[in-house]
Amino acid sequence: MGRAIVITSGKGGVGKTTTTCNLGAALAQLGKSVVLIDADIGLRNLDVVMGLENRIVYHVVDVVQGKCALPKALIKDRRLENLWLLPASQTDDKDALTPADMKRLIAELKATHDYVLIDCPAGIEQGFKNAIAGADEAIVVATPEVSSIRDADRVVGLLAQQDIPTKLIVNRISAHLVKKGDMLSQADVIEILALELLGAVPLDEHVVASTNKGTPAVLEGKSPAARELTRIARRVAGLDVETVRETGGGFFARLGRVLGLTPANAA
Amino acid sequence: MWNLFRNKQSSRDVAKGRLHLVLAHDRVGLEGGRLQEMRHEIAAVISKYVPIDVEAVEVQIETKSRETELRVSSPLPARSSG
Repeated sequence: MGRAIVITSGKGGVGKTTTTCNLGAALAQLGKSVVLIDADIGLRNLDVVMGLENRIVYHVVDVVQGKCALPKALIKDRRLENLWLLPASQTDDKDALTPADMKRLIAELKATHDYVLIDCPAGIEQGFKNAIAGADEAIVVATPEVSSIRDADRVVGLLAQQDIPTKLIVNRISAHLVKKGDMLSQADVIEILALELLGAVPLDEHVVASTNKGTPAVLEGKSPAARELTRIARRVAGLDVETVRETGGGFFARLGRVLGLTPANAA
Repeated sequence: MWNLFRNKQSSRDVAKGRLHLVLAHDRVGLEGGRLQEMRHEIAAVISKYVPIDVEAVEVQIETKSRETELRVSSPLPARSSG
């Protein structure tokens, strides 16, 4: 029996889709079988971020409406042995799905896969309700900005009402700006949202290039963001990964920590 | 570290302070106007029992972890002799 995890944020543009794509790819690299569901009906994007946009024949609304069987709508990723995408429909609206549809769909997928990751649309209306309906767990993605954190907090409250256990990914953090005092640190975000941290993904231009090409950053080598996303996937999978380090300081701060000169939690 | 020598608060600290305030209100769903109404009513109740300066009554919503609490503070005058 697999685990269904919804990736959500409230605010748009904070990196939900990119995070879903990379966590899925990284979990598949760990040998898990993974299905990604794009729950953003009408504004599908996970397909282009994954580079699978030319292979879509059926989508999630077709499955719900009985136009095709679920396995037929799954697109297999050719780069990885055990990664599939269930795309959203681009022409329907969010009411084309109901929370009951999603629960049924996810239950079916969990029977045959280790992980079902649901890419949630922005907002807290119908699309959000559909996306969280079948989820066992949630990951909230927030960037270290006031608008993102405010919306994330709203979503955290809604997830708590549904008793969905929730963890946090801080996305696009810049150690340089944190050090300058011009960005909230991961410790600040954890303190404000009061969530357990899965990881803090650094701001990294490699991710922009990967998205341009439609290749998950974790398959492209060892950029800082890719490394952290892989670590997050290992933590999700319950594999032993060192506790999250504060992304702060460069070589000398690290050297200081090793020599015991700088406290490990200095941000 | 250099911030110690500057009087200016960093934008990071400003953001933190603003978020704490905004989230405290968001979490209870109480907008500024309603909060002021509540403040006036609480002040009126207190003044039924103790003569106070109703304008000095303050209400604040504070949040720590995910617990939110309401703080009401009011200076109380010493009992006038007689």
